[in-house]
Amino acid sequence: MSAYPSRILDFIANETKGYSYKSFKYCYDDNWVPTLPYDDKKVVDFKHKGETDSQLEKNKDLTSLLKDERLIRKPLFGYFLDGSRRTYKVDDLAYDKKLFPAVAGQIGIACCERIGKDHFTSWRFEHSLVLAISEKANAGSGDSTSFFTKLRMNLNKQTFLDRKNIALDKILYYQSAENSEYEKKAIARIQDEMIDKEKKMVNCLVGERLLSGNSYLLKDGSLEYAEMKDKGEFGKWSKIKNNYQYVVGASKAFNPEILASSNKRIARIIAELPLYHRTPAIKYTTERVRFSKDIWFSVWYLRIRAARYCHSPYDGVIKLEKVLVNEREEKRGLTSDEIDLISVNIIRESFPVCYGQDSRWAKHLYPIFLTERYAKSKYLSDLHFINLF
Amino acid sequence: MMTTVIGKIAATEKAPTTIDEFFFWTKQTQILSPFDVVKVNHIKGSITFGVVEEISHITDSPSYLSNYISSDFGDITLEANMHRIGMNYVKAKVIGNTNNIYTPVLNGSKVSLASAAEVSKALGLDKVPNKLPCGYLEMYEGKDRITLPVNFNGHFLIGPEGAHLNISGISGLAAKTSYSMFLMRAIQELYKPDDSTVDVAFVFFNVKGRDLLAIDEANVGLSDLEKEKYTLLGLSATPFQNVSYYYPYSQEGSINSCSYGNPQDIQGQIEGGKGFKYKYVYEEDRENLDLLLANVSDTTGTMDSIISYIINGNGKFGSIESWSEFLEEVRDYSRKDNKRGDKEITVTSWRKFKRVISKSLSHSIFAGRVVSGDREVRISDAVKGIRRNEVKVIDIARLDQDTQAFVFGDVIRAIYNMKLSDEREEDTIPSRIIVFIDELNKYASTDIPKNSPILRQIIDIAERGRSLGIILFSVEQFRSAIHDRVKGNCSTHAYGRTNAIEVSKADYRFVPKVYKNMMTRLSPGEYILEHPTFRSLLNIKFPREVYKQFKNG
Repeated sequence: MSAYPSRILDFIANETKGYSYKSFKYCYDDNWVPTLPYDDKKVVDFKHKGETDSQLEKNKDLTSLLKDERLIRKPLFGYFLDGSRRTYKVDDLAYDKKLFPAVAGQIGIACCERIGKDHFTSWRFEHSLVLAISEKANAGSGDSTSFFTKLRMNLNKQTFLDRKNIALDKILYYQSAENSEYEKKAIARIQDEMIDKEKKMVNCLVGERLLSGNSYLLKDGSLEYAEMKDKGEFGKWSKIKNNYQYVVGASKAFNPEILASSNKRIARIIAELPLYHRTPAIKYTTERVRFSKDIWFSVWYLRIRAARYCHSPYDGVIKLEKVLVNEREEKRGLTSDEIDLISVNIIRESFPVCYGQDSRWAKHLYPIFLTERYAKSKYLSDLHFINLF
Repeated sequence: MMTTVIGKIAATEKAPTTIDEFFFWTKQTQILSPFDVVKVNHIKGSITFGVVEEISHITDSPSYLSNYISSDFGDITLEANMHRIGMNYVKAKVIGNTNNIYTPVLNGSKVSLASAAEVSKALGLDKVPNKLPCGYLEMYEGKDRITLPVNFNGHFLIGPEGAHLNISGISGLAAKTSYSMFLMRAIQELYKPDDSTVDVAFVFFNVKGRDLLAIDEANVGLSDLEKEKYTLLGLSATPFQNVSYYYPYSQEGSINSCSYGNPQDIQGQIEGGKGFKYKYVYEEDRENLDLLLANVSDTTGTMDSIISYIINGNGKFGSIESWSEFLEEVRDYSRKDNKRGDKEITVTSWRKFKRVISKSLSHSIFAGRVVSGDREVRISDAVKGIRRNEVKVIDIARLDQDTQAFVFGDVIRAIYNMKLSDEREEDTIPSRIIVFIDELNKYASTDIPKNSPILRQIIDIAERGRSLGIILFSVEQFRSAIHDRVKGNCSTHAYGRTNAIEVSKADYRFVPKVYKNMMTRLSPGEYILEHPTFRSLLNIKFPREVYKQFKNG
């Protein structure tokens, strides 16, 4: 090992008294992605009504509402948020004769603003470079968070990074319990970091008073974030739930298998949902959102493409979620009018389509697709990034 | 003017920027047109200029099918919340760099509209010597709009560096005659005998209606806006001066039977001393009889032999004094029992000769003698006496095609002979004589027999005219039909509105596709110019005619 490291992992191995194996580097997204409990929850109790129209037992046809001038005069959604990350296995570091994977990640959080039909522009973009390594790297007895922060700061001072005008935003660490799947843990840490940044972005929008009843934020993916390991400010849902008054989460990747196992009837209802129909909204809370058992969501499913054009009965259906932000909502659910308004606007967001560009076109919403593409376009090239390590 | 940035350079793997061209993106609502000049910030603080060649609009739709699906599987009433992301990308041709740096422009460089001074510099219009206005160009839209006068380098239009102009365009829509007149009026105004070392005279043929029969009378309908355009170009908006009109002689004093001109107007011109009637007299003009056969195919050379036979005065042809006697003699030679003359010329050939010339010679311009007191002239005599800055308009509009060719050929031959012979003192002859030929296709198309004396004459002028000081301003509908040696020798070309079939011909191969398509959409008064001192083709406009316009031609 040279006295003056020219790669990130040489430096880290040096500083943490470990050994860098210089293993083969590759991008996970090109190969396989560990399954993460992100977009969907395992058990949903469909007994609670999630909307004010308690009479609504069956699917609701929104076709006539699609022509209602009051609902479609102005698009409801003004902001679109998409967080994405790309992870790379960059090395194996040896500590105590054990190998721990080092996983690097690029996180991109894009928020776009729509000003008019032809004016779609970036509102803000956050790009971060992170590295997840084993907590074993901290050989001392001090606090790991401080140790890795210090390590990162020293690393960023290295001339080989400075010359390229690149700095790591965070060195994350995963715990090294026996028989753990370290790579999954490392990726999960990067995933958590991404979610935290998404929340920060929502907080910024709220802070700048950009969200309102006329300007909702549409977020790609579920609002029901996974359990946060650290107790960061943005992990505390109760503290920020008001931020979500005008935020709707739209999930493409819900798992119908899970639905089928928990409630066969609802799985069938979704599969047979006619075009431009929505299910009644249901209300649930989840234990996955730590510190805040009192966070309730309304969730409903909406078919935006006719099943005959789709690959499977669940294709063309998206899951919509909204946080119930006050006591009245928590008690009675969202107003059915708001659910209809959101649903109608979601249907209108489903055109144009990204057919031919994304295999998930049937459940993609065009502004979200653009936001996602924007975020990905801002990534460093894989080759460039991977060779920093 | 503040610099208006309109986009940035986009260099991709498949469409890199090169020494010759670059691409840039703009907003989809940015209005640009082919021929607009744009500037790009380049290395070492230099600026590269480009001319817009193609503008394309793209969206992220990968296929038509995607568009169809985006309209909810063909629902034409669907109004989505937003339109597809789209932008325009523009292909531009590099025309120069302020520091002569021709390294391709770099990806992401800013592209902006240029100021009038920059456009002028970019197109090489700022330092044109021997300026001769040829129109003005308009660029950009709205507040960025600029109007610039455009000048030819006169030395490349009427010599000595280059010569001849060819104008093409379809009838009625290209305003070819108007543009020719605009240029020639500018030449007449700028090359005045007193203050120019170059003296110019003009010979026009009026081939359509009354087009050119009042070019010295003002156009009262010329608007102030048009006059401003003349001022912009440094011209006075006054009609031609020193003009003489030559009408075909007609019998029995019936002036208008051979001209579309109004009899009173013609009479007025004659009485005013600027109108003349022209005639052909056998004794003087039999040597030009070959010109009557210009459109006759003569593969065996027999017509040529007959002409030689007549011109040499063989048989009785040397002693004949009138066209009627001449025709009688030809009739004799055409008889079955003819034993006279050259044995190698068969009776059949004489009959063919008779058939060809009879119709033309029956015209009243083929007369017995010229009465100068009645303001009658031989056209070649009139042309040979042309003076500096003078314009001679020869009306041939109402003559049949062969006779038109005869008159045209005679005039060209007269000018040629005047320049080559020493009949006049050299310094009294205008150093440049500009001959305006409308319907060039009648005399120099690829279909004209190769032995045509007029074609030979035109080719000769095209090739040697620059040094002799005979300049052709030729006009035709379809450039592709013109003899290569004629158009190939023209230094300047003006392309007016034409049709799609024409632009698909080889003549237009060098023109970018967008410009070709533009040629099919040009308005009257709009031309695409090619001139040796221009760095690229230019799209110009010119103001309306300064001389009298007749409503019905």
